[in-house]
Amino acid sequence: MDKIIELKNISKSFDGETVLDNISLDIYDNEFITLLGPSGCGKTTTLRMIGGFVQPDQGDVIFMGQRINDVPPHKRNVNTVFQKYALFPHLNVFENVAFPLREKGVPKKEIKEKVDEMLSLVMLSGFANRRVTSLSGGQQQRVAIARALVSHPRVLLLDEPLGALDLKLRKDMQQELKKIQKSTGITFVFVTHDQEEALSMSDTIVVMSEGKIQQIGTPTDIYNEPMNAFVADFIGESNIVDGVMLADYKVRFAKHTFDCLDAGFGKNEPVDVVVRPEDVDIVPADAGMFRGTVTSVTFMGVHNEIIVDIDGFKWMIQTTDSVNEGEVIGLKLDPDAIHIMKKSKYSGMFGDYSSYSDELDELSNPGGEEE
Amino acid sequence: MNHKLNTYRLMLLPYSVWSVLFILVPLAFVGYYAFTDDSFSFTLEHFTRFFTATSTIANDDGTTQEVRTYVLIFLRSVRLACISTFICLLLGYPLAYIMSKAKERTQNLMMTLIMIPMWMNFLIRTYAWMTIMQDTGILNNILESLGFARIRIIGTETAVIIGMVYDYFPYMVLPIYSIMAKMDTRLVEAARDLGCGSLAVLRRVIFPLSLPGVISGITMVLIPSISTFYISQKLGNGKFLLIGDVIEGQYVANNLHFAAAIAFILMVILLAAMAVVKYGTERYVYGGESE
Repeated sequence: MDKIIELKNISKSFDGETVLDNISLDIYDNEFITLLGPSGCGKTTTLRMIGGFVQPDQGDVIFMGQRINDVPPHKRNVNTVFQKYALFPHLNVFENVAFPLREKGVPKKEIKEKVDEMLSLVMLSGFANRRVTSLSGGQQQRVAIARALVSHPRVLLLDEPLGALDLKLRKDMQQELKKIQKSTGITFVFVTHDQEEALSMSDTIVVMSEGKIQQIGTPTDIYNEPMNAFVADFIGESNIVDGVMLADYKVRFAKHTFDCLDAGFGKNEPVDVVVRPEDVDIVPADAGMFRGTVTSVTFMGVHNEIIVDIDGFKWMIQTTDSVNEGEVIGLKLDPDAIHIMKKSKYSGMFGDYSSYSDELDELSNPGGEEE
Repeated sequence: MNHKLNTYRLMLLPYSVWSVLFILVPLAFVGYYAFTDDSFSFTLEHFTRFFTATSTIANDDGTTQEVRTYVLIFLRSVRLACISTFICLLLGYPLAYIMSKAKERTQNLMMTLIMIPMWMNFLIRTYAWMTIMQDTGILNNILESLGFARIRIIGTETAVIIGMVYDYFPYMVLPIYSIMAKMDTRLVEAARDLGCGSLAVLRRVIFPLSLPGVISGITMVLIPSISTFYISQKLGNGKFLLIGDVIEGQYVANNLHFAAAIAFILMVILLAAMAVVKYGTERYVYGGESE
């Protein structure tokens, strides 16, 4: 596969605030790549930089081997599906999709053919003469996609395109976007803060935080082998506890020594240990490797989500067993349930389930930000 | 629900009474006077008079000419109003665009500057223009001191147009500006993304989207400037009577019925013009079927 876009050592700040901090990223032809991160992590700025709406302070944007830092948006072979669609309200569906073709002076007959082809691709044949303002959110979304694809760009940029849709429609659109990407062979660069969306659609995920790339990898890599506490917490649910690597394949945490599958750390090196909530087995109190007290049980449909107090650290466990609040239970971990990460600046910030959100943490711990 | 509805009706009541007393009743009176003579019996004589009355005017070369007095004045009013409106649009559109792109502080400052003249009485503004444009006025003094010849402006159509443009300019800028200020900047980005250079963005997105502002600007300038009076008397030295001056004159001369008939004709023509504009806007500005 060929590199289609390279971002080289890019930094950008707005009003003295660093938004992108020396990021480098290669995007390959034909892939579905997702920039994932919380709001303010720099993912949208990165996308806008590829689109040509933001110029880097430092570093280069390379498109098919050419430096394009100074090329304006209308001369880039890249199109964008904007957040909230940005359809032209004074034009009907047909004219919205035909917009870029008219600018290029494509002959009328060809415009009609191409627009009809695009409308059928996004399943909107028969809507050509409608006002865009009379369409539902999902339909507007489809028009925006058709409009961005009609001139066959090499790369399609999508800025949280599904954010405004309801859950079921969003799932359908995820499937459809993936299908369109496969059938057109166009590289998709997708921006979202929704980790599930990222996991289900992407070939490659780029996890970003505070203007830096935290990890680049396939969805399974990112989920199973998170690089640090931030990634582990952001992608799925994670219990992240302090541990010490005693030797290769031996880790000690929660006052117990466990076998694991990780090696290559220093002797007695402090590490972060990640245990996914679905990987913990519940056993009778005596039969467990360690034990804890159930402090809450929430019925989630498929499973119960329980919070277990183990020596003051709150673990989240997802189980189909039924347990009761106040019960003391035993817990068992297989070696492949344990993932070891190097300590990072995010260590200790995530992975305790006293509360779910940072916001509640701050509320119950005022002044915590000053630390 | 019902209770709420009644509350709204109650709140609406004073406005309804106001509209009936001060809008509908006077309109009915205008209509009534227009179609009656001094003894209040039905007649169309005022309308006949408006369209057929003639008078003799002297041409520049000394010959004289028979013209239909009121039709001529009416057409002159329309022509001067159209020219003024066009100049307002030509000057106002770029200003509104520049304003909408400026920093918020600059926007507020520019807005204030545009509004300030509106706080001063219209008579005073007109007199101010007289002082500027008189044969021995400020403009001519400046021209002379710079070594140019004096020019004659006062008493020409140009002077009347300048006065009208000055008076109605804010009414053109404000509606266009308010549309442009709230225009979604993402639409501009989308257009650039889809291959438009700056000029194409202006032509294909900004201008069509600002059309409702342009249309209300045109309406707000054209209609009052067609029926304007006084400016023509003071800046045109009374040589270019406008239809508003005629209505005023007839009223002052106590010809209430004829004054009402002219006002009635003017109103019908303006309403018809507005209906055409409205139809055109809906048809061409917001393209496409709604269902």
